[in-house]
Amino acid sequence: MKKLILIAVGALLMQYAQAQTIDRSQQPAPGPAPVISIKDPATFKLANGITVLVVEDHRLPKVTANYMIDAGAVTEGRKAGVLDIMGSMLNEGTKTMTKAQFDEAVDKMGANVNLSSSGGFASALTRYFKSAFELMGQGLKDPAFTQESFDKIKSQDLTGLKSQAKNARAIAARVTNALTYGKNNPNGEFETEESIQNLTLQDVKDFYAKYVTPSRGYLTITGDITPAEAKALATEVLGSWKGAPLALENNPPVANPAKLEIDVVDLPTAVQSEINVVNLVNLKMNDPDYFPALLANYILGGGAQSRLFMNLREKHGFTYGAYSSLGASRWQSTFDASASVRNAKTDSAVTQFLVEVKRMRTEKVSDEELTNAKALYNGSFARGLEDPARTASFASNILINKLPADFYKTYLQKVNAVTADDILRVAQKYMDYDHLRVIIVGSGPQILDGLKKLGYPVNLYDKYAEPVAAATQK
Amino acid sequence: MQIRKNVLCALTAFSLFSLSAQAQKVAFTEYDLPNGLHVILHEDHHAPVVAVSVMYHVGSKNEVASRTGFAHFFEHLLFEGSDNIKRGQFMKIVSANGGTNNANTTQDRTFYFEVFPSNYLQTGLWLESERMMHPVINDIGVKTQDEVVKEERRQSFDNRPYGNFINTVARDLFTAHPYHNGVIGEMKDIDAAKLDEFKDFFKQYYVPNNAVLTIAGDIDPIKTKALIAGYFGEIPAGPAVVYHKTEETPITKPIIDTFYDANTQIPLMAVAYRVPGKDTRDAKVMQMISNILSQGGSSRLNKKMVDEKKEALQVIAFNYALEDYGMYIIGALPNNGTAPDVLKKDMDDEIVKLQTDLISQEDYDKLENQMEDNFVNANSRQIGIAESLANGYTFYHKHTNELNEELAVYKTITREEIRDAAKKYLDANKRLVLYYLPGKAKAK
Repeated sequence: MKKLILIAVGALLMQYAQAQTIDRSQQPAPGPAPVISIKDPATFKLANGITVLVVEDHRLPKVTANYMIDAGAVTEGRKAGVLDIMGSMLNEGTKTMTKAQFDEAVDKMGANVNLSSSGGFASALTRYFKSAFELMGQGLKDPAFTQESFDKIKSQDLTGLKSQAKNARAIAARVTNALTYGKNNPNGEFETEESIQNLTLQDVKDFYAKYVTPSRGYLTITGDITPAEAKALATEVLGSWKGAPLALENNPPVANPAKLEIDVVDLPTAVQSEINVVNLVNLKMNDPDYFPALLANYILGGGAQSRLFMNLREKHGFTYGAYSSLGASRWQSTFDASASVRNAKTDSAVTQFLVEVKRMRTEKVSDEELTNAKALYNGSFARGLEDPARTASFASNILINKLPADFYKTYLQKVNAVTADDILRVAQKYMDYDHLRVIIVGSGPQILDGLKKLGYPVNLYDKYAEPVAAATQK
Repeated sequence: MQIRKNVLCALTAFSLFSLSAQAQKVAFTEYDLPNGLHVILHEDHHAPVVAVSVMYHVGSKNEVASRTGFAHFFEHLLFEGSDNIKRGQFMKIVSANGGTNNANTTQDRTFYFEVFPSNYLQTGLWLESERMMHPVINDIGVKTQDEVVKEERRQSFDNRPYGNFINTVARDLFTAHPYHNGVIGEMKDIDAAKLDEFKDFFKQYYVPNNAVLTIAGDIDPIKTKALIAGYFGEIPAGPAVVYHKTEETPITKPIIDTFYDANTQIPLMAVAYRVPGKDTRDAKVMQMISNILSQGGSSRLNKKMVDEKKEALQVIAFNYALEDYGMYIIGALPNNGTAPDVLKKDMDDEIVKLQTDLISQEDYDKLENQMEDNFVNANSRQIGIAESLANGYTFYHKHTNELNEELAVYKTITREEIRDAAKKYLDANKRLVLYYLPGKAKAK
């Protein structure tokens, strides 16, 4: 009987449906825009300076905590790799629990607890969250640091380095950073077999004492928990923790090359070339250029309908995807356009990258491009709110980057105010055509002749960003 | 004091849990259009977001032998435009309206989706109905996407360390079944295909009666139903899709293979077994075995091989569960130059233990908690919910509610079943032993 009624209702709906006229020859008009409301997380400070942000969300029976130490970029110098190893060592048990006991305690709850040199993460079903969070706290405050664990982690790190030795993408990432920032900069330095071999357990302890601390710490707790419960728990577990005060490094600014250059690393096994077109930028989130820069990058290479993708993939079929990014940070960051392309089309792809960067700097973007880019940012802002942690990251971004309190509440307003002239201006400023580095990791014999014909200086480097004499390359 | 506190904690935990567990059930409605399109709707107004998705029950296993890679190629081709959407406009329309979109293909199904701010629901329906009703399949689209897919193959398989691992396992475990071929296929097959073959493949598989339309998020179900009828109702049904599972003959002695990957410098030692398809209870049992072996630091392979013996950099154990069969894969990367056969021996010892001894009650309780945690994490976004619902209908005999019942099934799996499944499926005589080694194959 019940079933019959349901069917009858269904039939009615069908009729209602057929009464709708659909014009499929054009895109339907949208409904009224949904109202976006951003609820601020509960925010407070612990006595030792840790900032705590709580987003209450009871839809799922779970809670997640994220502790982040805002140390900025840290120079490791001859100890390159020590921070990663120190982070791994935090997962090797505590003074009162062996690694096996610690892992068992986490796993038996079905929870996740992870520690790293820049903080910790704990996520668990609501009924286990307290225990998971306590374990995270214990791992941060009281690591075991045994010689046996250190030797194991060190050997794993060396094997890991070796496993990446022929990975084109890993080599490209390393060389791109090293050439762009220089090897003396924290963003340009990298670990090597030698730097890892030279590390000692004492190095790990020293870096721990300096960098794992409540100073400049941000704790975000999201999920099935009230702010009062979160506060009590954070205070109990981390409130009396003491550590060294943390000061951010102040590294000298790095210059872009005097003239556009092409830098090639020969990787004989590569079946594709990894191309990165890069320059350094100085752009902070509280700079008025931030919003135009966001849209400029999107139009050039932010997505699958941006110019780079449409040109290099959809028009030419050189690659599976081509994208760009434009960093905004308290420190120097990069503009970086990149793709993996087949060997034979490496020089043609470089040409198209350069054409598109130049076009951003010489022509105003069309009204359609600008309108579409704004629409995407409006939509993705709304979509982002599906993630309950989003409002907490808004709040911590405001604090870390010293943004105005209404930064995210007026975010779309500022996006929508950007003009084509703004975009031209920021493209000229941040997409630094004449001072680009085009960094390519690929099969030298198959790509070099074509690249040399482009008319720019071509330099050869090895996998560790050391210059290689042209004669030996042949 | 301590005791009392614990009791209180336990009580709070219990009440919280029962409250939340109820909230967690994923509610939905479902029905068929007259043309056979199955529709699933999930309403959730928490965020102003809607996910629009279509799952076509076609994957690489529907391909004929000399035309591998067709299903995945179609995933690309069906972004090329339609009678009402010009070439190159599909993705542009999505982003220009604040949406995001993508698609992916497996051996068994192809999944297309858009996520929009919820006031663009109708745009999502228009796009997916255009794609289903009259996509443009022409030479220029085929030629462009042919190049793009070749680059995808290079990027995701041939230039990536361990990129050819899964395809090698599949090739060795399946001899008669099309799972042999992998999803990406052979480049020469797409090159050789004529335009009419693409058109025929479309007519055969991309029909409403072979698809599930799932909408999840901030929707009004009554209005949504009306729009769906408008956009999808006029698409004609196609002939019923006929698929016959190819039965593999059982493996009776170990298959030993070596594959060389020039992108790696560290070997991968693996053993792999053919197991029943994902709709079976045993597939769930195998999932639990994966957790016992490799989920978390306390899992058996991690604890023994990574932490105690320090001979492995990483261990894996997982059920690559597919519709007709699964591939159960156990493997390890050596640390400290350990020989692959030493790793194999240690993996084998753990398998024998599972076959011989029941897991402890503590280990069993751990498993239950892990399964529950996984379940909660899987359903945190609308697009994830849409895909889970469509999976239930497509792969669990039209049982869309699978995602709500799965956890309860896990709770009924016994320790004895775990031991027996290990015995039955992880048989040393019925497996692939794969040495996935660095370097290039020596010329013969």
